Amino acid sequence: MELLAVTLGAALAVGLTALATGWAQSKIGAAGAATIAERPELTSTVIIMLAIPETMLILGFVVAVLILTRVG
Amino acid sequence: MILRMNKVRVLGPREQYPEALCVLQDTGVVHLTVPGLDGRLLPLRLSVWQERESGHLRRLLADVEVLLEALPTTGAGVGQAPRAGPPGGLPARRDLTRWARLVGGLRPEVLGLRGEMAILAEEHALLSKYGPFLSTFGVILRSERAWPHIAAYHVILPAQEESAVAGLKTALALVLGEGFALETRRLPGGDIALLMLVPEADALRVESLLAAAGVHEIPVPSGYEARSLAQALPRMMDRLESIPRELRVREKELERLTALYRDELCNARRGLHDRLRTLGAMPLLGATQRVFVIEGWVPVSENERLAESLATSLGGETALEVIDNHPRGEDVPVALRNPGFLRPFEIIVRLLPLPSYGTVDPTPLVAGFFPLFFGFMLGDVGYALVLAALALLLARRSIPGSLGRSVAAVAGTCAFWSLAFGVAFGEVFGNLGREHLGIHAVAFDREEALESLLLLAVAFGFVHILLGLALGVFTARRHPREAAGRALTAGIVVAGVVVLGAGAGFLPEIALLPAAGALVVALMALVAVEGVLAFVELLSAFGSILSYSRLMAIGTASMMLAVVANDLGSAVSVPVVGVLVAVLFHLVNFVLGVFSPTIHSLRLHYVEFFGKFYRSGGVPYRPFGHWDPGVGRT
Repeated sequence: MELLAVTLGAALAVGLTALATGWAQSKIGAAGAATIAERPELTSTVIIMLAIPETMLILGFVVAVLILTRVG
Repeated sequence: MILRMNKVRVLGPREQYPEALCVLQDTGVVHLTVPGLDGRLLPLRLSVWQERESGHLRRLLADVEVLLEALPTTGAGVGQAPRAGPPGGLPARRDLTRWARLVGGLRPEVLGLRGEMAILAEEHALLSKYGPFLSTFGVILRSERAWPHIAAYHVILPAQEESAVAGLKTALALVLGEGFALETRRLPGGDIALLMLVPEADALRVESLLAAAGVHEIPVPSGYEARSLAQALPRMMDRLESIPRELRVREKELERLTALYRDELCNARRGLHDRLRTLGAMPLLGATQRVFVIEGWVPVSENERLAESLATSLGGETALEVIDNHPRGEDVPVALRNPGFLRPFEIIVRLLPLPSYGTVDPTPLVAGFFPLFFGFMLGDVGYALVLAALALLLARRSIPGSLGRSVAAVAGTCAFWSLAFGVAFGEVFGNLGREHLGIHAVAFDREEALESLLLLAVAFGFVHILLGLALGVFTARRHPREAAGRALTAGIVVAGVVVLGAGAGFLPEIALLPAAGALVVALMALVAVEGVLAFVELLSAFGSILSYSRLMAIGTASMMLAVVANDLGSAVSVPVVGVLVAVLFHLVNFVLGVFSPTIHSLRLHYVEFFGKFYRSGGVPYRPFGHWDPGVGRT
């Protein structure tokens, strides 16, 4: 039971943050594609903007690692 | 670093302003600005004659550009590159007249030759389509005259319509019985050549049958009107052979013109750009009835050279004075100047708007931290060697000072750090080195020591953010409250980390109480200086430090993918296929392993690090000088 809870906790930490990151990146990506179409010189800026929401997923991954190594 | 600037003013007799502009253009160090005007000092407007000259020069320049585009850039006819360095002075009137005559005579000739070549190339492409048909059915076509009562039809079907041939045969058999012949051959491109021979009496029925089936006979091109394609084909093939000869004649003529005039046209382009720049700079001058005034920004290191040039060329009647040697404000132009080994990293800083004058050029810090973070994430000897090889290749294929050479230098430094961390982690293409070459981690095993890696990544963040806050104090030095706020934030971050470290047992327990006391005092001082909203900035600083945990997360993901590639490869029973699978996966992982650390290292710099001190909005330093073909700006 404890193993199930730990595994589920780690999965939720990664899964939910991945969903949130994906949703945010879809919005930024759509706007970014339109921006690049009009101003190609902003390509690098758009790529950086696109990477910003990944913080959520990365922190989720870190939390999952901590759950698995500390609790598991 | 950002070059220190002085604001200077050049004063002299009004009739000397053309010579003064000429000296400034030759020196190429003054970023011109509009002088402070008053009732007596007015902007020097272009005269009607100069406006006309400007329009004429622009048209002439457009023609020169067209000619340079139309003349070949390779081949025996191309002379040496245009002379290097500034030509020293503007083109004389006789030069402009000569260039106008040259362009006037050359333009119709060159464009005429180019037009003829385009027509010939088009004709060649059209006739080439008939070549396969002739080579396939040549023997039958040549004997067509021997069949007086036979009509021939020539068709090329696309490869995907091959099935239509059977349908056509059936339809012809229904209409003509056995009185027809149908031959098909596959052409080299995959299309199907089709030749039909039918009695002349049935020609109308066959044509309506073809039309109903949507099959069209190959048209005879205009200029080769004849009874049939069979009669036109020999003439077309003769023409096909003669076109390359005609093209070569015209190419030779263009090469001859290039040898004669290309260098002169390059000089004309340079001279016209320079003259247009001078005319464009004139509205930035101020003048009274008797004197002219030019103001602009000059790097401090160039002041003396400018003064000497003016004195040598114009004598004592023109004076140069420094009107502001401690400039501030947003209108001061910014020029970045770094030692050669740091200069490639300017491409990372230049992706953002330039820093404001009086702030910090972060290039040296980027040169230190960007490759370090990249190497920490990639951290694999195998991938590092591949990256180094690619960087070397790019360096060899690019010219010094180009974007490619800068990218190669940055990639090379990143490869060095990836190699160093690869040795520390004991990774060669993931766990391949550990399992087959007996290599072991010197510092951390990334498969096992996740927490240690996380701590190291956050420690990198702590140092980086602290450095950013310290630079923030420097950039806010003229705003004491803001500077104090940033210094207190830095102090709180240090005290907070000491408290956490001592609490978790990483630091001596004795440090806990003093650090906690300092934390409380600094917090109270911060609220007193910047108000309650300072907590937002404080939380952002701690959030930024935690954001560096991505260094560990991305590195671990990259390493795990490499391990998966090796496992997949070894799971395949056929060794050759297993190696291919592993190589393919490693290739994908290498691309991801280069792209992802680049993006995230950039992000850590732009968002977390620069956010603590970087003030963008600097005006690029664009000195008034001679036209540079590499830059191409007029």
